[in-house]
Amino acid sequence: MRVRAGSIAVLLAFSLGACSSGSDDSSSTEAGSACAPAGAPVTLTYTTWIPGIEKVVDVWNKANPDIQVKVQTGPNGNGGTYANFFNQLKAGNAPDLGHIEYDALPSFRVQDGLTDLAGCDIVTQSQSKFIDWTWNQVTFGEQGHVYGIPQDAGPMGLFYRKDLFEKNNIPVPTTWEEYAAAAEKVKAAGGYITNFSQSDINQFAGLVWQAGGHWFGNDGTNWTVTMTDEPTKKVADYWQGLIDKKLVSSVPPWTPEWDNAYNSSSAWTWVSAVWGANSILAGAPKTSGKWAVAPMPQWSAGEKVAGNWGGSSTAVFKNSKHPYEAAKFALWLNTSTEALTLLNKEAQLYPATKEGASLPALKEGVEFYGGQKIYDVFAEASTQVKPDFTWGPTMTKTYADASDGFKKAVTGQETLTKALEDAQASTIATLKSQSIPVKE
Amino acid sequence: MKKAILFFVAPFGALFTLFYLIPIGYAIWQSLFTVERTGTFGPATEVFGGLTQYKQVFSDGPFWESIGRVLLFGAVQVPVMLGLALFLALLLDSGLVKGRRFFRLVYFLPYAVPGVVAAIMWGYLYSPNLSPFTEVTSAVDLLSPSLVLWAMANVVTWVYVGYNMLIIYSALLAVPTEIYEAAKIDGAGVFRTAWSIKIPMVMPAIVLTTVFSIIGTLQLLAEPQVFRSFSSAVSSTYTPNLTVLSTASIPNFHLAAAFSVVLALATFVLSFSFLKFTQRKGVQ
Repeated sequence: MRVRAGSIAVLLAFSLGACSSGSDDSSSTEAGSACAPAGAPVTLTYTTWIPGIEKVVDVWNKANPDIQVKVQTGPNGNGGTYANFFNQLKAGNAPDLGHIEYDALPSFRVQDGLTDLAGCDIVTQSQSKFIDWTWNQVTFGEQGHVYGIPQDAGPMGLFYRKDLFEKNNIPVPTTWEEYAAAAEKVKAAGGYITNFSQSDINQFAGLVWQAGGHWFGNDGTNWTVTMTDEPTKKVADYWQGLIDKKLVSSVPPWTPEWDNAYNSSSAWTWVSAVWGANSILAGAPKTSGKWAVAPMPQWSAGEKVAGNWGGSSTAVFKNSKHPYEAAKFALWLNTSTEALTLLNKEAQLYPATKEGASLPALKEGVEFYGGQKIYDVFAEASTQVKPDFTWGPTMTKTYADASDGFKKAVTGQETLTKALEDAQASTIATLKSQSIPVKE
Repeated sequence: MKKAILFFVAPFGALFTLFYLIPIGYAIWQSLFTVERTGTFGPATEVFGGLTQYKQVFSDGPFWESIGRVLLFGAVQVPVMLGLALFLALLLDSGLVKGRRFFRLVYFLPYAVPGVVAAIMWGYLYSPNLSPFTEVTSAVDLLSPSLVLWAMANVVTWVYVGYNMLIIYSALLAVPTEIYEAAKIDGAGVFRTAWSIKIPMVMPAIVLTTVFSIIGTLQLLAEPQVFRSFSSAVSSTYTPNLTVLSTASIPNFHLAAAFSVVLALATFVLSFSFLKFTQRKGVQ
């Protein structure tokens, strides 16, 4: 017994030693003075999955010989890059900068992986450039903390097949009630109003966001998980109704099968974010010129509320030795007209800045959408996104758990509400297993 | 003499230690910790937690369900695959087929296809609307909850049958020809020789391939991971290794390490008891 106690003491000493060195790091970066120019040429590393990012970074590297950025690309966040980031943070070799979506920022903050950029004047002075709710996402609504530079936003709208709606005399739905009525008519005409995604839980969150739901709360002492609040139930029941009546298809999203559903005119609408414009364009080339974009259907006629799906930030990781230079690059990447235009051209990113909405590139008609100036619709939606949606600290797992349940729902084994109840329970368990305080 | 042994063992020993023993030791070490924090965004402090993580592993329903799932998978898929491998090996060895070299290569080819690529390819073939065999796949949904496990068993069999065949076939080649001559003189035909001579002679190879297959089955990852995006029936905890992956993505490295250690132990116990079982049979 004595031996065992002794070895535990050794283990404890070891772990405490590891921790104390960790807290040294955090105190040095929390101090505002840490954000100072290096005064010498630096090389930064940046990991992202934006297509065509190399071209944007080349422009920066040519103009800034003293701050060279080396870019690395990988799969999208939940598809593997976040797991890599977490591993790199644990191993102490994370890049200086990383691409982190708003919904994943809390996960990285809770793992103590981010540099608080509030000490950088250049960052705090830029606050007014960003759309309010995107700034809220990177500060968690707290004063005196900034955990990333907003990059893009995903205001949602209704992509619909203008040709088919007109041909079948179906009015474009402006409310969810009309949307359900249109679904019946579309079914009668041999199509599906949309494909309900079993794994895009963040899309469903966007619908809940519009309806005024909140999945997470954080009062500073405890997290709350409310994935079954009234607005969420309303949204879940609504889509459950469409699933039960077989008015929506449910092929797995982001697969060739899914592209085919749009390309072969089986699915007629998609309630998606601005970046979805590119997904249809790439996945359903046969339908060119036949699409249009309308505002998202509303819960009450006359309302003007939009949801948001996606949107990213450029964050500086904890172990970066050059937070000032990293912040400088991230600000250029996400606020300069030059970079934003290129990002939109290469990857259809929709800027998170207020001025971004008036970029010349976003004022043009898009051929694939019959020449419609689709970005006007999203510019309006962008101002209608509620600013107070909070993400939880373990979203990758929450998404996986909810998706497990949604998969059962689309195959008729359970309901969306049950899936959300289960996801809530397992999210609470996940938080507890990480000793993250949570109120039940 | 001793120096010579050391010299030859050292390269293996070093790599084995570096890439096998140390990672296992690190996983066990990690699995004994748990984190503590204060406040909603408080940084984590690692504290020694003893068997806390293991308690969680043993009370995790989906994890044990997934162990049951892969055991069922193995109970069906391993005998089918090895039966097929043995049959093909005997066929090649029997002299009944011409173009032995050609077929040996053809059977082995699928193994050259990386597991993920094979899974993606079969995913297309199973797809209800895009498969070249839509008449079959739209009538029978091979990606549905009741069939997807066996659809994956088919992929695994396709990939590994040639590999296992090759191991058994090379064991067959090592059988001394005198034994066949003796069997022939005793009046044994092709089938009798196969049953009474060849199969018993290659038993060690079959045992070896079975152990490999048991290990492979419990560690199933690439196929379910790929099928997760194709099929509504594959969850994020479908196989034990998927659970490890999704736990590590939280990231909860300590719990993921505990899952891995338990999975490794289960694999060890299963393969070891199979070996013991066959050895005892061998003695009788």
